[in-house]
Amino acid sequence: MENAWLIPLFPLVSFLFLLLFGKRLKEASAFVGILATLASLVYSILVLLERLESPTHKAEAVWLTIGNLELTAGFEVNQLNALMLVIVSLVSFLVHTYSKGYMHGDERFPVFYAYLGLFTFAMLGLVISPNLLQTYIFWELVGVGSFLLIGFYFYKESAKAAAKKAFIMTRIGDVGLLIGMILLFWQTGSFEYDEIFAAVEEGAISGTMITLTAILIFIGAVGKSGQFPLHTWLPDAMEGPTPVSALIHAATMVAAGVYLVASLFPLFNASETAMLTVAIIGAFTAIFAASIGLVQNDIKRVLAYSTVSQLGYMMLALGSAGYVAGVFHLMTHAFFKALLFLAAGSVIHAVHTQDIEKMGGLWKKLTFTGPLFLIGTLAISGVPLFSGFFSKDEILIAAWAHGNYGLFWLAVIAAFFTAFYMFRLFFMVFTGEARSEMKNVHESPSVMTLPMLVLAVLAVVAGYVNTPWFGAFLGDWLVEGNEALGHGHIAGPGWIMIVATAVSLLGILLAWMMYSKNSISRDWLSSRAPIAYGVVKNKYYIDEIYNQSVVFATKAISLFLRFIELFVVEGLVKLTTATVQALGKTGAKIQNGQVQTYGTIAFVGLAVLMVIYALTGGYL
Amino acid sequence: MSSVPVSAYLALALILFCIGLYGALTKKNTVIVLISIELMLNAVNINLVTFSKYGANPSITGQVFALFSIAVAAAEVAVGLAILISLYRNRRSVNIDEVNQLKN
Amino acid sequence: MTLTGEFFAFMSLALVAVIGGVLLLNLTKVVHMVVALVFTFVSIAGIYVLLSAEFLAVVQVMIYSGAITIMMLFGIMLTRHHGDEAEPKGGTLRRLFLLVGVLGFGAAVYFGIYDLDFEAVPNTLHENNTEQIGISLFSHYIIPFELTSVILLAALVGAIVLARRDDEKEGDQE
Repeated sequence: MENAWLIPLFPLVSFLFLLLFGKRLKEASAFVGILATLASLVYSILVLLERLESPTHKAEAVWLTIGNLELTAGFEVNQLNALMLVIVSLVSFLVHTYSKGYMHGDERFPVFYAYLGLFTFAMLGLVISPNLLQTYIFWELVGVGSFLLIGFYFYKESAKAAAKKAFIMTRIGDVGLLIGMILLFWQTGSFEYDEIFAAVEEGAISGTMITLTAILIFIGAVGKSGQFPLHTWLPDAMEGPTPVSALIHAATMVAAGVYLVASLFPLFNASETAMLTVAIIGAFTAIFAASIGLVQNDIKRVLAYSTVSQLGYMMLALGSAGYVAGVFHLMTHAFFKALLFLAAGSVIHAVHTQDIEKMGGLWKKLTFTGPLFLIGTLAISGVPLFSGFFSKDEILIAAWAHGNYGLFWLAVIAAFFTAFYMFRLFFMVFTGEARSEMKNVHESPSVMTLPMLVLAVLAVVAGYVNTPWFGAFLGDWLVEGNEALGHGHIAGPGWIMIVATAVSLLGILLAWMMYSKNSISRDWLSSRAPIAYGVVKNKYYIDEIYNQSVVFATKAISLFLRFIELFVVEGLVKLTTATVQALGKTGAKIQNGQVQTYGTIAFVGLAVLMVIYALTGGYL
Repeated sequence: MSSVPVSAYLALALILFCIGLYGALTKKNTVIVLISIELMLNAVNINLVTFSKYGANPSITGQVFALFSIAVAAAEVAVGLAILISLYRNRRSVNIDEVNQLKN
Repeated sequence: MTLTGEFFAFMSLALVAVIGGVLLLNLTKVVHMVVALVFTFVSIAGIYVLLSAEFLAVVQVMIYSGAITIMMLFGIMLTRHHGDEAEPKGGTLRRLFLLVGVLGFGAAVYFGIYDLDFEAVPNTLHENNTEQIGISLFSHYIIPFELTSVILLAALVGAIVLARRDDEKEGDQE
């Protein structure tokens, strides 16, 4: 555990190596990336196993000394960090492997692997940071990695725009994080998590200040985790290659926001208002994104909105003091959502379209991907015995136990939506008749299916580490030695589990009736409430609203500033350059090589000096 | 004691110096340029001799200095004319504005 | 300022010197210019006499009016001068510029010297002037004197080397 800092270094080495030699290695560069992440994975698992028995390890070195202030850099392996290390390196390893098949034949194959290495490095660095400053640095690096990967197909206009949008939208959140961080530093004089928590516990920070900083930091998390109202970049980010979507926009980076809130949980927990804000935003995002997901036709976009919605769940859990529930769902979600994305990638790989209206009847053709996708769908829908069931249950119980009854019912409805749209997706893609002509539909190579298989196993069994039946092992371990994080398992009324199961089964049933059996007309609802349908279909016009308000205002201001620049600044600049140029031209003309000219200039200079001296020297 | 003030001698030297300077910097003919320089040196010599007699500390030193200056001026003229001759052989001209090797 | 013989002598000598200088600037033929300057040199020798520097006056006449002028005339005769001192094209601006500079310089210096006056100190420069110079030169200034001879020798050698004909090889200059 002492050498846990090595874990992020493996992908970094892979990144640097591929940067230098990628062109020569061509597709062999995949092995470099896979080996590096495999090393990280093995080491992460070792660290996790060690961490199960030994206490938190923390090592720091002084980085900068400014006056009395010492900034440190180092790493910390606590329960959350160890868990995140395994999740990130596992998903990253599987995605590296999967990409070898998916990206086969791409011209910039080594570059892709280099970017993946960079991103993995940043993400692993993020989860072992012991202080806010280091977290922030890696937080931004993660953003860069995401930007590069979303814009990987940079020759596509939409990919370029999506990359920019993702970068700018998350940056809006980052500003909040930065301000919150600075405020915290101002109040406590330290970036260290431990010292901040100690200060909060002692009451060294006023209540309002805690609320303010917590909400500002939460804004950062909102940006990164695609919560309302900064969620619009995440669906657009699906322009990137599908393995990237699985790695970044499902399992790891978007979870960084949740991770941030979780690692600063004691700070949030100290402010009732901040907790409520987190819970409300989370619950609202959950149902809001789920409702959009109901009507989308792009397979990846449905999954993207589902991700947004699930992240909302996690926020709801954290905001309802359900620390364990949030982290638990983060873990299970990483597995089944990565699985879903990889399976979706496999489908796209086979049929070369993302429009589910054009798919159908793939169950028989994709004999391997189909069942795996079904497992993922069952897990996310919260069908009993799958991992999503347990974690979602924990969240619902946490919300109920915290007294957020309204939010609880919102979450239940969102769970119903989730089950419905996920099975709508499943039925439209895999059952019925093919709705368009599809040639060369073939199962993906084993290098792609094996990672999916691993994830599928995990999507089923990951839930059993924390169940109400066999003991809350994960929960007890997570909160061990830290009372501020709450209880390992929150007891709740037994009917919640029944309700949750009921709504998810209901959703599945409805989807089955509408899209498989066709006993209910597909446009039953859309024909009755066309306006509502249109609103949802257009994602509540959020993008349009942003375009009309924020973007428009920004453009107007920038136009105005452009005029100022054009006429005032550039005028000054032109004046300056013209003066200098004129001087230079005169100077060049004077340099004609004739001694007399030089002598004249020198003498006139002397004469001017003498005249000035005579005038000011006072001997007149 | 003297009916001619010091400033008169100095003013004469100044006028001659200015004439020499103007000539040295405007004339095209290299010979004239050299001669103008001689004129400037002469103006300086007048100053030296004037101060040797009417200065705050009259002494013979000023005159000795003027002698040295004349000797160096003679040497300068010799070298200057030699340069002029060799220049003329190369360029077939003594116009100073055709001499612009400083530029390239 | 009283009208004494010294004053008249100074005024006439100064006038001749300045006229010589002005002629130098305004004449068109090179030979005429040099001859005009001879007047200036001779008048300066007269000024030296007024300043009790008889030896220097003689040296001035011999070196400047004699040697240097003759050398200049040889220099002129050895080179061709056609279209002498035609107005250089495009140099008008420079001339104007220089004129202003020279006038400014002159004015500035003149303001420095016009009321300069030192307390008159009686001196004996006019008695045995040449002897005084000789004593000073060979006692006090013996080293500069010898160095001057070295300079003259170097100038001599340099002038010969520079003015030597091209058809001789340039490598063996020593």
